[in-house]
Amino acid sequence: MSGREPTRDELLAMAYVDGELRPAARAEFEARLAASPALGREVSALKELELLARAAAPREPMDEEWARLARDPLQRGTLGLGWILLIVGCAGLALFAGWQLFASDAPLALKLLMGAFLAGGALLLGATVRARLRTLPLDPYRKIQR
Amino acid sequence: MILTTTDEVPGRKTTEWLALVRGSSVRSAHVGRDVMAKLKNLVGGEVTEYTKLLAESREQALDRMVEEARARGADAIVGLRFMSSDIGDDAAEMLAYGTAVRLA
Repeated sequence: MSGREPTRDELLAMAYVDGELRPAARAEFEARLAASPALGREVSALKELELLARAAAPREPMDEEWARLARDPLQRGTLGLGWILLIVGCAGLALFAGWQLFASDAPLALKLLMGAFLAGGALLLGATVRARLRTLPLDPYRKIQR
Repeated sequence: MILTTTDEVPGRKTTEWLALVRGSSVRSAHVGRDVMAKLKNLVGGEVTEYTKLLAESREQALDRMVEEARARGADAIVGLRFMSSDIGDDAAEMLAYGTAVRLA
């Protein structure tokens, strides 16, 4: 808590999340929301708080063990190293397979088609990742655990 | 907004039945969560990655249903139910539905 008084926009965002705005005020706020990413992030953060409060459940013994494991250096190191090796292995295999194809005696048309296929896949993946990264801060559901 | 699985809100008189309201959400886990979930399949126990995925879908579906009821001027949703289904191998749909009503 910063201790400062909430701004008018913050108060409006709280009322909006709590469903307390009257229809006209709600429509006006939603019009501003559509035009302002900063206001969207504010609403998303408030919604996230409300969701976490709604989903608050008594911790189970297994939750404590999961938390302990998450802090355990051996577990963290094993998982981290595992992911690095997996990603490096996958990327290496993909590059090796691509290089094998382009260095082979395969027809040029096949090489071009394969190049187009890979480039298309990379473009689609890039666009999807970009869209997810842009919308992630506005997704209040991502911290719900159960 | 009052949400209840019963057909009436106990202690309150229903004055108007408005409409069926529903909200659905289809969410998927990212590939990292899927990999960990598949590995947990080998050893058993709770797959927390998918518990989380379904909980996210459930809350989003609920919120969408409540938004629809609110837009109709409802005070409560009665007869609330959930349904889930698989969309492909790696995504889960959660549907929440009920009847929007006005209360005295």
